[in-house]
Amino acid sequence: MSLSVIAVISRFLEEYRSSTSNKLKVIDAYLLYILLTGAFQFLYCLLVGTFPFNSFLSGFISSVGSFILAVCLRIQINPQNKGDFLSVSPERAFADFLFAHTVLHLVVVNFIG
Amino acid sequence: MALLRLVSLLVFVLALEAQALTPSHYLVASDVDRLQAVLSQPFTDLKSAYFSVVGLSKLGVSVADSNDACSFIKANVDSSSIEALFYAAEASQAISSCEIHVSNETRDSLHAAVSEDSTVSQIHQAVSALSSLGLPLASQEVVSALKARISKEDNVVAITLALQTASRLSQQAELGEILEEIEDLAARLDDLGGVYLQFEEGLEATALFVSAAYALSDHVDMEPPLKEDQVIQLVNSIFSKKSWDSLSEAFSVASAAAALSNNRFHKPVVVSAVGPATVSHSHPLLQLHVTDVLCQPLSSANVLVESATSVASKAAILSQTPFTLRDGIFELNFMASKPASGYYQFSVAVTGDSRLVANHVELKVKVSTKVAINNMDLSVVDKDQSIGTKTTRVEYPNKGKASFIADSHQNFAMTFQLVDETTGVELTPHQTFVRLHNQKTGQEVVFVAEPDSKNLYKFELDTAERKTEFDSISGTYALYLMVGDATLENPVLWNVADVVLKFPDEEAPSTVQSKNLYVPKPEIQHLFREPEKRPPTVLSNTFTALVLSPFLLLLILWFKLGANISNFSFSPSSVLFHVGHAAMLGLMYVYWTHLNMFQTLKYLAIIGSLTFLAGNRMLAQKAVKRIAAEQSSRLAKYRSLR
Repeated sequence: MSLSVIAVISRFLEEYRSSTSNKLKVIDAYLLYILLTGAFQFLYCLLVGTFPFNSFLSGFISSVGSFILAVCLRIQINPQNKGDFLSVSPERAFADFLFAHTVLHLVVVNFIG
Repeated sequence: MALLRLVSLLVFVLALEAQALTPSHYLVASDVDRLQAVLSQPFTDLKSAYFSVVGLSKLGVSVADSNDACSFIKANVDSSSIEALFYAAEASQAISSCEIHVSNETRDSLHAAVSEDSTVSQIHQAVSALSSLGLPLASQEVVSALKARISKEDNVVAITLALQTASRLSQQAELGEILEEIEDLAARLDDLGGVYLQFEEGLEATALFVSAAYALSDHVDMEPPLKEDQVIQLVNSIFSKKSWDSLSEAFSVASAAAALSNNRFHKPVVVSAVGPATVSHSHPLLQLHVTDVLCQPLSSANVLVESATSVASKAAILSQTPFTLRDGIFELNFMASKPASGYYQFSVAVTGDSRLVANHVELKVKVSTKVAINNMDLSVVDKDQSIGTKTTRVEYPNKGKASFIADSHQNFAMTFQLVDETTGVELTPHQTFVRLHNQKTGQEVVFVAEPDSKNLYKFELDTAERKTEFDSISGTYALYLMVGDATLENPVLWNVADVVLKFPDEEAPSTVQSKNLYVPKPEIQHLFREPEKRPPTVLSNTFTALVLSPFLLLLILWFKLGANISNFSFSPSSVLFHVGHAAMLGLMYVYWTHLNMFQTLKYLAIIGSLTFLAGNRMLAQKAVKRIAAEQSSRLAKYRSLR
């Protein structure tokens, strides 16, 4: 049982390494970073407590929001999805990504206290 | 039908009440003396001499040393000043056998002052001076000059002086228009709460208006257009002040008082009781002061009690009974009608002169009496009534010889009667208390004694039931009876007997703290809001490092992936874009530390629009490059296929 899981995972990683373009890998690395940051914040909250709650919420929401926006960017940039995003060029996707981030960070900094 | 009657009665009563406005502020004898004293001060100059002399003459008093006054006036008169001539002329006229001689030039200057070019004040002074000096004057000219000046000087003081001037003119002159000014001025009076009526210019203006209005009305023999209620409100305003700031104010009050007590149309009446309005067997006479505003008794008036009804029982005791006048005071022997003790509403009418105003007065009279305590019986009763009661009678003001002992199986009982000493009628005073006082501990307990249907007072003390009030402290208690009421002349505090109370549980605390309510209470310490407990700094720092560590991981991964900035084109738009973007991130940090949302939005708008324009340019350039690269690669692929 466990053997097949390991086999699946290693196969997946192999596929990933070979078929994904560099650009997407860069974005994936960024996604991993955001994920870890959010996870560590949550861990702190679980272990030490929720004081100050507003700061925790703001940091966590920032992580979650950034993750979502990066995922959107990745989807829009991926040439395999070009058919779904005919009107959106990669540059446009990146511009949207930056604009959404500005709004998100405005709210996050307001809430961080 | 009954409801209709009730409603009409109510309306009638209300109407009566609304009609009966009586002076609530008036001068009493001491106030009149004080006014006289103020006006009798030694003269400092001609103006003060005028106020004093003329003021005192209005009060009906002549100045102290008339020869001295006359020579003072003659010495200080300055013939070139109209004002000085006015003061001198008026004052000298008030003093008998004091005459001022004026030259022809002075007379001419006085006549010349009467013109449209002088102020109303100057015209008033000139006309009064001419009139007091017995010199002829042209009334019609004065009237036309006054009319012209009134339209130019439309203030209260000026019009009052015009009225005063008009009262010195000949009766043949056309004073009709000036007479109408009284009504116009009366409309300018301010009604304060339905009690006062005065000008906003103050007491002096109001008082001078009153004296001028009545002077002119008497002169032309026409009733002034003032309603009775307004007259009383004016009385309230003018006589509410009992000490006066200046001589001119005192003079104006004296003039008003003289005008109101002696004119042809309205004479306000002041009815007040001598001392408290109380009668009793020792003081059976109800005495009233019935005076005019100058506190002089109206000796020619008839004072009548229209009705006297008891407030409690609404029974009418008197009807249409006259008062008798003795030494300036109106008296009535009310006790002769044998009223029961309590309060009575008197409705008093003053008649005899058609000018009287506010001559129906309502008074509340109290009839007091002395109380006697009869049949004070004390007994100790067994609860199960097996042993017969032993009743001891105690006579007021003696104290019962033996103490009464009551323990938890017995009740202590007390009965007595309260009667009117003179008539023997049973009374129910407001306060009948029984007080038990423990002399050793200082503790006292007070109970109320209630009357039964036959007005017999009963008090029962159930020892077992009431032990909480006594804190179960056994001992000797002194028993007091307290009787009091507003209508009793002799309130009673009587130590009737001593009572020894034995309570069942003897676990009462030996030390009894006197329940002193007024010791300082323990101080309340304010608890400031504790700041929340923070985790130790080490822990926070560790986690901060932990949270920031993935960034390092990101950089490592990017490096491994080969992400680089070798494709960076140093075009102005891309430089500007990156600078703008960095500035926006910097703005976020500054927002966190210093700014508020509005300021941030302002800066963000500026930086953001620049960044947007630059970024748009840069991305467009990149898009062009990318499309060109794609096209060339497609072209290469196509060529290789061929």
